[in-house]
Amino acid sequence: MMTLLKYEIYRRWRWLVLRYAALIIIGAILLNRVSSPAYQYEFIGESIGKFALTSLVIFVIIIIEGINMLKEDLFEECGYLTFTIPNKGRTILASKLVLLFFQLSFWTIISIGFGSILFSKLPYREMVQIKTQINFYFYPTLLFILTAFFNFVLMIHFSLTLTRTLLVNKRYSSLLSTGIFFFLVYFIEKVYYGPFLNQIQYISIEIGSRANTTLLSGGYTAVFLNIILTAIFFTATSYLLENKINI
Amino acid sequence: MEQILKATQLSKYFYQKKALDKVDLSIEKGKIYGILGPNGGGKSTFLKIAAGLLKPSQGEITIDNEKPGTYTKSIVSYLPEINYLYKWMKIKDAVNFFKDLYADFNAEKARESLKFMELEEEEKVTTLSKGMMGRLKLTLALSRKSKVYLLDEPLNGIDPISREKIITSILDSYSEEASILISSHLIYYIEKLLDYVFFLSEGRIILSGDAEELRNKRGMSIDKLFQEVF
Amino acid sequence: MMEFNNSIPIYLQIIDSIKQDIVVGKLKAGQKMPSVRELAETLKVNPNTMQRAYQELDREKITFTKRGMGTYLTEEEKTISSLKEEISQKIILDFVEGMNKLGFSNKEMINTLKEYL
Repeated sequence: MMTLLKYEIYRRWRWLVLRYAALIIIGAILLNRVSSPAYQYEFIGESIGKFALTSLVIFVIIIIEGINMLKEDLFEECGYLTFTIPNKGRTILASKLVLLFFQLSFWTIISIGFGSILFSKLPYREMVQIKTQINFYFYPTLLFILTAFFNFVLMIHFSLTLTRTLLVNKRYSSLLSTGIFFFLVYFIEKVYYGPFLNQIQYISIEIGSRANTTLLSGGYTAVFLNIILTAIFFTATSYLLENKINI
Repeated sequence: MEQILKATQLSKYFYQKKALDKVDLSIEKGKIYGILGPNGGGKSTFLKIAAGLLKPSQGEITIDNEKPGTYTKSIVSYLPEINYLYKWMKIKDAVNFFKDLYADFNAEKARESLKFMELEEEEKVTTLSKGMMGRLKLTLALSRKSKVYLLDEPLNGIDPISREKIITSILDSYSEEASILISSHLIYYIEKLLDYVFFLSEGRIILSGDAEELRNKRGMSIDKLFQEVF
Repeated sequence: MMEFNNSIPIYLQIIDSIKQDIVVGKLKAGQKMPSVRELAETLKVNPNTMQRAYQELDREKITFTKRGMGTYLTEEEKTISSLKEEISQKIILDFVEGMNKLGFSNKEMINTLKEYL
């Protein structure tokens, strides 16, 4: 697995460096500006906004790259190489997901780091106000979003793999994959999150906490559900790659 | 003789289309086989199943008594017809990748072979001409010390100089411990290399036999025989 | 390099070519022959085909194999001279058959040959 991971990093190391360097540099520039004594408090919000936007762009890049990592191997000629090396399907998939995990972690550390410093520059009154609003849910929500996006990529991997293994069909493959993906999303929402999270919501209301009615209120339970989902899709996709490949 | 690869009633359908239709075929150690036939006759499909890229619809194939999987991939060296190398690679990256991922890859041999094939390690794989790509693919495939070599159309679209080099390399890699299966529709150039031939058309084996015996019995070259059959 | 006529078994052609080389003296009595592998690579033929040719030569006592040392040409003068005989016979046979096909009688054949020489 390490060997494959090494090559996943090696082939795009310039892009990786560039990506995180850009995020750090932009963060540093904004921070520098905010830290100058002449800087007006009113503009801090704008700096936070600029940083958030940069961070978002890089997040999107990470997600798209995560999807393409497997898509390439399934649909392009290089799959002939990837799937004739003597490695298990799960090893091949894991090498890609580990890189995705590293990238999301790295992105989170940098974004939260700069974000919180920028945030601390806000006037005390505003800071407290925002803090009371988000504090309670901040970490579970963040973890939920990260795990949800990780699953998002993995579910697309699964849909693509399913199209390319059991349903060998080149012409309609993207349509088919999209269909499978949306079906999964619908199915999971209804059958998986739904019952669990309704339960949680019910309990939270019972104990009189500040539960809102969104999915996020699931907190760490929702994160846990996501991790189980990851395990399920990882196993299923690995199985298909290992035993049913038809490229 | 020891059988290293054996297909029994092997079939592959793509929806209605039969790419392979009940193919029985076996391969012994230490011999060079030709799987010959027109394009679309099922040659590539057969090799892809043996390489583990396609699953048979019916029937069975075993290599060293195992179905295609991680083990067989470790003893089968497959050269596909297409450009399977990652686009980001330089030639040296490809050599390193093979060295890292195949335990039987001999980097020393690969470097020598690159010299013989007149390929520069710093060159990017995307800039190679078709002949150079063919030479590189062959270098990579033959620098492994595998039990089975599956070479899919190694001479297709290759210039005469590359062709000579490729044929020399194949002969150079021959060992009594290994079997080589070459698919081709350019029979003239490879027929002297072959011990045994299978003619594959529309997914079926329509003729097979020892190359010398076929020449003797029919009084014509395999190439001629091929033209007569198809 | 040797040109093959692929419509005749290749090992037979290799045998003929080696015999010819012996008769004309390109290959010397008692000399060591290249290994199967080497010769297969030079002639660009399948090593098993090459092996078969060597086996056949061994059987005809034109070569002999020293265990672990390789293949050597025979030193028997008799075998070599009979080879010469064999090849010349074959050439004559081809000539006569060819001339017969053209409608030459035996007498005419001799006359043309005399004239030519």
